[in-house]
Amino acid sequence: MKLNYTRLGIFLILLVLSFLLLPQTSHAAIDKTEYIIENLQAHDIPNDDGSGLVISWKPLPKERRIIEYRIYRGITKDSLFYIGRIDVNVKTGVLADEMYFYDTDFNYFIDTSSRGKLRKEKGQGKDSPLYRGYPRDIKIVGPQLEHYDVLGVIPEKDFFYHSRKIEQIADEDTTVYAGLKLREFLQLPKKLIPDHEYYYTVIAVNESRRYFPHAEPVLGIPRENSPEKTREFYAVYVQDKNRLQFEWSLPTFTDDMFYHRVYMMKKKDLDKFDKYLEYLGEVEKNDLAMKNDSTLTALDRTVENPAELIYQRYSCYPYTPVKTLSINPVNGKIIGEKKYPNIFTGEEYEVNVDIDVDNINDYCFVFSLYDQATYETFSDVSSVEIINSSELPIIPPFKVIDRESDKGDYNTVMWGKPVVYLTNSSYLNEDKTRLQVNYECKTNKDYKVRNIFFTVFDEEGKEIDRINEFYQDNKIKVKLPIDSDKSQTLFFEMKFKCNKDVGDDYILTQTLAFDEKSKSLYPGNVFLGDEDLLENSYYIYKHNYYDEEWRISKKIVGTQREIFDNVRYLNSHFKIVKHFDADKKLFLFRPSFGVRHVEGKPDETIGSNLFPSEIEKTLKAYEDNIAELTVSKDTLNTQEEIDQVDEDIKGYREQIELMTTNPILKEADSFKNPKKRLKFLDKIRHFAKNTFEYKIVKTDGKGHFSESDIYVRTKMTSADKIDKYAAYFTGFGKDHFTPRSNWFKKKMLPALIASLLFGMLVFVMIGKAKKGHDLFVRPIAGIEEIDNAIGRATEMGKPILFVPGLSGITDVATLAGLAILGKVAKKAAEYDTKILVPCRDYLVLPIAQEIVKEAHYEAGRPDTFDKSSVFFITTTQFAFVAGVNGIMVREKTATNFYMGMFWAEALLMTETGSTTGAIQIAGTDAVTQIPFFITTCDYTLIGEELYAASAYLAREPLQLGTLKAVDYFKLLVLIFVISGTILSTTHLTFLINAFPEK
Amino acid sequence: MKRQIPLLIVIILGFMFAVHTFVPHKASVDFYDWYQTWIKAISPFMVLLGIMSLFMVHSTKIKRKVPNWQYSLITLIALVGTGAVGFIWGTQQGTPFMWLFKNVQMPMGATMFSLLAFYIASAAYKAFRARSIEATVLLLAAMIVMLGQVPIGIKISKLIPEASQWILNVPNLAAKRGIALGVGLGMTATSLKILLGIERTYLGGGD
Repeated sequence: MKLNYTRLGIFLILLVLSFLLLPQTSHAAIDKTEYIIENLQAHDIPNDDGSGLVISWKPLPKERRIIEYRIYRGITKDSLFYIGRIDVNVKTGVLADEMYFYDTDFNYFIDTSSRGKLRKEKGQGKDSPLYRGYPRDIKIVGPQLEHYDVLGVIPEKDFFYHSRKIEQIADEDTTVYAGLKLREFLQLPKKLIPDHEYYYTVIAVNESRRYFPHAEPVLGIPRENSPEKTREFYAVYVQDKNRLQFEWSLPTFTDDMFYHRVYMMKKKDLDKFDKYLEYLGEVEKNDLAMKNDSTLTALDRTVENPAELIYQRYSCYPYTPVKTLSINPVNGKIIGEKKYPNIFTGEEYEVNVDIDVDNINDYCFVFSLYDQATYETFSDVSSVEIINSSELPIIPPFKVIDRESDKGDYNTVMWGKPVVYLTNSSYLNEDKTRLQVNYECKTNKDYKVRNIFFTVFDEEGKEIDRINEFYQDNKIKVKLPIDSDKSQTLFFEMKFKCNKDVGDDYILTQTLAFDEKSKSLYPGNVFLGDEDLLENSYYIYKHNYYDEEWRISKKIVGTQREIFDNVRYLNSHFKIVKHFDADKKLFLFRPSFGVRHVEGKPDETIGSNLFPSEIEKTLKAYEDNIAELTVSKDTLNTQEEIDQVDEDIKGYREQIELMTTNPILKEADSFKNPKKRLKFLDKIRHFAKNTFEYKIVKTDGKGHFSESDIYVRTKMTSADKIDKYAAYFTGFGKDHFTPRSNWFKKKMLPALIASLLFGMLVFVMIGKAKKGHDLFVRPIAGIEEIDNAIGRATEMGKPILFVPGLSGITDVATLAGLAILGKVAKKAAEYDTKILVPCRDYLVLPIAQEIVKEAHYEAGRPDTFDKSSVFFITTTQFAFVAGVNGIMVREKTATNFYMGMFWAEALLMTETGSTTGAIQIAGTDAVTQIPFFITTCDYTLIGEELYAASAYLAREPLQLGTLKAVDYFKLLVLIFVISGTILSTTHLTFLINAFPEK
Repeated sequence: MKRQIPLLIVIILGFMFAVHTFVPHKASVDFYDWYQTWIKAISPFMVLLGIMSLFMVHSTKIKRKVPNWQYSLITLIALVGTGAVGFIWGTQQGTPFMWLFKNVQMPMGATMFSLLAFYIASAAYKAFRARSIEATVLLLAAMIVMLGQVPIGIKISKLIPEASQWILNVPNLAAKRGIALGVGLGMTATSLKILLGIERTYLGGGD
């Protein structure tokens, strides 16, 4: 059917009408009020850090065809900003009675992708309080900062080198801030502030993207709550070691956890403790009630906790604390290692508690989480379990090394000898005489497994089969006697042969027991002697030079033998942003930063400032304070007041001494260039945060655990010795380790050798070709036919079609295809035949255009070059095919070339070409498409022939030399493949193992 | 200079990326990440190239009133129209753009893809005609593999699924690996030719 003006006009009118009217028809006769959501509420989230609200509403029925609900928040009802949405499947609607949106934790506030200007939300009236989101305009966003806790995530370079010094005067006090523009922040997330008022509303959007009126805004106030209750807590007394051991589970909400505490009390005090808990509940309820009713007064904290504190630690941020604790009573007392300060109440606890270990059963213990709002939640009280140390798991020696071949972000922690365990089994034949058993082998760098010996016994202890697994492919095949009982339990004994002696008595045992339900043999637990390896887990604890507390790195099962501990590169600084400078368009934050903890005093931090002048000011302020306090002493009356002043003066002096004598800060001050000073401090900070000491704990999760000593390396590595920052860190290289950036991937050594060898071969063969040696190249029919195919097109007076594949310029197949295009285009230009080159990739297009243009110039026919003969169609796969097929049908191309990478579209194109009667030559390295090309094309370049084609056509020594080198290298590969096959058949696996698996 | 500078860039960066394959050092990883951001920055400009080409080709056809120029007009209207509705109403669910995508582009793409089934049948017919010994072997192998994938195969003989699996796992896999090996070496050789400046066609012209 020919397309004429009338048909085209009708088609276009229909198209426009259908596109404009169809989506709009659903808008007709809609009662907007039916689309206002109902039952909108905002509730506080329990047990959180006081920054969470949950917004709930009743979803609209599915007949309303809603595709999303949009949520808005503001600090007044007059202006609410879009904060998020919930997508809905328009076909199913929402099945639940209520929908929830959680506004909790740090979430999106503003970034560079935010709108430039404040804009009203779509589909709302002029008086609507809804806006599309917070704009980048600092005059609008700046005043919002005081209503949220905004966290500035700042790239390290921007923090140190781009921060501008801003002085702000408030109440006659000048405060110095560091300021950055919005684009210099990675993110500016926010969270709600406890006890602040926030208004929320929700609107519905239907499938035509019609925005309906909003519901009446509702008020939500996030409240501080007590932490959640710890679910598990175990207390164990190891009698022969006179040691108390505790283990607990970790909470879900962790943001405002501040202390972990363990208390002890006599069982007779349990009633008192229950009353204390009731009282704590009343205090929390009253605190909440006071916030709603100002006439109420706070309850006196008169009821005392009958339990005595025996341990406390900081939770730290981010929350990854340890889960175990050991306390050794000495002479009937539990004595704390230090004074435990409570920074919220100002109290200080000195643990010095009597304990009668002979009557340990009279005691019980309780664990608590204490948050920043001073609320404390206790676990269930735990009685003590008395055991002997022989019942504790035995912890193997472990060591810490730098992980090989990485960029310096992992330490390897490894322990013990290899472990193998069965994971699954299945029969391979109907007679059930061949059983395939899958297994897993876990080892570490110290032990390289050469052979695993499996011995299989039946229930009577009779040996059934013996397997020497010399190549570990994670499966073995066990031969079972024909007459054996198929429901009997099989016993496996597993031994190792490694690069190091593991000992003859190192035997693992496991059963394969018949499971009635699945009617198959199911693996039981794996035992090493009497120890059930799956019963215990390992906790890896680590501690750096920056934080006071130990943290848990990983918890892993008892069958593992090593872990890679991720030591992340610090790229960002986190700063609370509360202030702004509207004129300079800067968001402001404190310019101070921590460097490391004080040597020997892990609870004190060495800090510095982005601006050296501020350090001087601080020093001067401390000296002024000392002078003032000294003078004020004369006016004091009581000894207590004088002691307090002396204490304060001592504190200031210590701070001055630290700032002036600490070697790190002294070295930093010696730099005249401020950037060099900051660079030095940044490096030290990195070093302190990324250098860890390690210990491991082996536990059954119920307080029966053994804890290793801190790992100490006897020999420092050469890299540790020469590290220029090591001088500032005691114990570095001995008990503290930092991962190193490596310069070579050891696994890539065979690839490197092969590449160098191949490179050498190329040079040798090029040299030979240049000297005139006759290099035989196997004739390739597809390439030899190119000339004839072009000739055919010339004779027929029809164009040539050349498709350079569908992948991008980064694909080597495309480059090879373009190389062939150059030769084909030159020949076509010589014969004055039109060549059409449709492209799918934007970047391939200009390159193909240049190639065809150059070909015409080389052929001496620049006048015949038509730039529009090389053109872009589309990036969409099947739309491209439609385009190419259309060209074939309309232009009746005489010759079609398909050279490059193709996917499912290959057959669609070549079949169409086949029906138009064109001669077709294809070349691809896509293994899945080669059969289709072979079937439908006249000639096909299979795999490597595509890459050889340009050399074959050029017949230049440089190209032919490369081609020949490929052939010789293939021979080499073949020799290795055959040798590897023969050697591995004779149980010699060294050649196979020399090559990496991937 | 027109050739030398791009060639120099290709050679230097090519070697740097070859080195990156073997060097896990942070400097190497950072360099690679930095390069990736450049790719993101360049991509939008590449789209412009494609759109310009489309406009040039089709506007010329319309101007010269070449046969079937009306198709070019539809192409340009579709291009401008789709772009316009995307810019005006956005690309989210429920917008005219998504309507066009769901009701025009997706069905048309699905139509093209579904044609593949018929083309495969046609190609299979061509391939399986037993005109020679090789074609007969191909036909037999294909029959066994196809029967091995369907329940009727195991009904005919228990050996068929096993034979089917053997054909796929042994001769088929061996051939695929042979091709993959050749392709791997071919790729390496082509990359090396580009790195050494032996292959310069991609710069425009053969030399």
